[in-house]
Amino acid sequence: MMKKLTAIILACVAFTSMNATADQLDDVIKRGTLNCGVVLDFPPMGYLDENNEPAGFDVDYCKDLAEALGVDANILNLTWGDRIPSLVAGKTDVVIGSTSDTLERAKSVGFTYPYFVFKFQVISNKDKNIESFADLKNLKVGAALGTTYETEYLAYAEQQGWGKDNYTSFKSENDAFLGLYQGKVDAIISTNTNIATKLQSDEFSDFEAGPYVPNYDDVVGIIAKRSEVAWINYLNLFLIRQIRDGNMNEAYNKYFGSDAPADLIKSLRDNK
Amino acid sequence: MNSLFTPLSWDDTGYILTGVWNTITISVVAIVVGTLLGMIVGFARAESNKAVNVLFGSVLDILRSVPLIIQLILFSTFVGAIGHPMNPFLAGSIVLSLYTMAFMSEVFRGGFESVSKSMQTAARSLGMTYWQTVYHIRFPIGLRAVLPSWMGVALSVIKDSALVSVIGYMELLRTSEQLISRTQQPLEILIGVGIFYFIISYPLSHYGRYLERKMAI
Amino acid sequence: MEYEFHWNIVLQKMPELLNGAFVTLHVSVLAMLLGVVIAVLLAIAKMNNSKPFCYVATVWVEIARNTPALFQIYMAYFGLGAFGIHLSPYVAVLSALVFINAGYLTETFRGGFQSIPSTQYSASKSLGMTSIQTYRYVILPQMLRRIYHPMTNQFVWSILMSSLGILVGMSELSGTTQRLQSLSFRTLEFFIVAAVMYFIITKLVLFGASLLSRRLFKGEI
Repeated sequence: MMKKLTAIILACVAFTSMNATADQLDDVIKRGTLNCGVVLDFPPMGYLDENNEPAGFDVDYCKDLAEALGVDANILNLTWGDRIPSLVAGKTDVVIGSTSDTLERAKSVGFTYPYFVFKFQVISNKDKNIESFADLKNLKVGAALGTTYETEYLAYAEQQGWGKDNYTSFKSENDAFLGLYQGKVDAIISTNTNIATKLQSDEFSDFEAGPYVPNYDDVVGIIAKRSEVAWINYLNLFLIRQIRDGNMNEAYNKYFGSDAPADLIKSLRDNK
Repeated sequence: MNSLFTPLSWDDTGYILTGVWNTITISVVAIVVGTLLGMIVGFARAESNKAVNVLFGSVLDILRSVPLIIQLILFSTFVGAIGHPMNPFLAGSIVLSLYTMAFMSEVFRGGFESVSKSMQTAARSLGMTYWQTVYHIRFPIGLRAVLPSWMGVALSVIKDSALVSVIGYMELLRTSEQLISRTQQPLEILIGVGIFYFIISYPLSHYGRYLERKMAI
Repeated sequence: MEYEFHWNIVLQKMPELLNGAFVTLHVSVLAMLLGVVIAVLLAIAKMNNSKPFCYVATVWVEIARNTPALFQIYMAYFGLGAFGIHLSPYVAVLSALVFINAGYLTETFRGGFQSIPSTQYSASKSLGMTSIQTYRYVILPQMLRRIYHPMTNQFVWSILMSSLGILVGMSELSGTTQRLQSLSFRTLEFFIVAAVMYFIITKLVLFGASLLSRRLFKGEI
């Protein structure tokens, strides 16, 4: 009798402790929904389509990930600043939001392998004739607050001795483009993909893409809670399979109108 | 390729109305909860001794001395960090209600303290119990006196509810911001938003001033 | 609690935060001073009989009081931008705060002025005072006493509302905090420090105001 009871208790303890080790991967599968954060402020990676529904490369990745997990995708619309709080708060399981993988940030959140590589580029009105980065000297330049390209520009400006007077921060990428469109600033720095997309619209027909920020590739990863190593492992495999199974190329085609360039694929493979 | 910019159209009405509805919902929640809590805290402060008051006061002081936007970001991050994530509506309602409570409690305290001591003594000498005095004398007279100030706080809560957008609650200002990104037409949309707030706030603020004048006489 | 606090990064960035706090104080002081000047003019215009001035003042006051500060700031930044008027984030926030401060203070001033019974004017006159003397020695001291407290509140309000600069990319305390947290992803740490700084700033301002009032009014307020 006593033995039986001990066995039952032991089994219970074992069961509860098994339960306690359930990680985020188990949680998502059990819950049946993937809470996937995206930033709809960064076309064509994330934006609202004409029906005010989320769309973009990142949104498709969320859906692909949910499909791979066999769960429903719950797309959460975040601001840039929300990305980390939402993870810490457990509101999101992952954030697929073009997050640059700096070592400083990696102290706070866990990064996967890169899933995209951007180049930072200048966009300005055609009459500004910007040939090189040095031509920005006496122009009013803007960028989105707290982004890596803002940091890169400010570092460059300081190195050249330009000071901060000609620089304007915007709350978001969309605000920066609106500011450029209205003429608040002469040029803004953004990513090549975003600029290419904007240039295809009528609103930006008077603008042109300028030089790239020297010596800088913006490598971005999916982010998740730093402690969820097994979960990040799964995400890494997911990213590899996205390339191998052709989903990456499909999404690229859908939002950029061409096959994914070989150098992008190569740098994604190299960087992991 | 999907098109990036599309102009504002009548199909967006539903989207905007969601924002309007959400603004109204969270304002009403904050005003109701904030008023009830404010009344209780205000009464407690009017009644209690100095030590308790200082303690109460300093907590309320923090709510009044830190910008709402910072309170919202901090609270919504903090509850997540301790393992109890909340959706933007819940987190926003809690912060906005407590913020409202901090201001309402001052309003009510002033109201309760304005009821003269001699009136209370008179009531007690007529044989009323303490709670009867509270119920029949202090509440009706005190509450009536605070109506205009109450209105002022309530109006500022409706306007401050716009800040809940920073933690991702889709109230009017955040929906319009997203529409601005899609349409690149800030002026039309912003003016529409301004008119909405004005239509709600203007009549109420005039009514408040009317009451104030009426009571002053 | 599974969150690990990292405070050393905040300490490293302290000079930037303090600089942001300085900008916050700067913009709110300026917004208050300009707001007071405009409010005096608007209050005079509102009490004046000439229709056009009174009309402008009324419209100003009603718009300022009945729309959110966030709306005013967006309007000053992107709304005016649509007309080709480009204010820097600093000027946009400043003008929105001045606009609102002036709107609220106008009513405060008008109320303060009207609270003084007209019999005092005739009394002063019968004592042989000129109208400048009447204002200087009789009316203004009483008025100041009545509007001092609401003015202090308005000032604290401007400090708190300048935090909306975060939304147009201004580098005041909140904007700086937002930038720093975004570079390091240390949201809680940076915002806790910002909250403490705002608390200290408002307390210092209130303390200063009460010291000043004791000197001005010799304790009776």
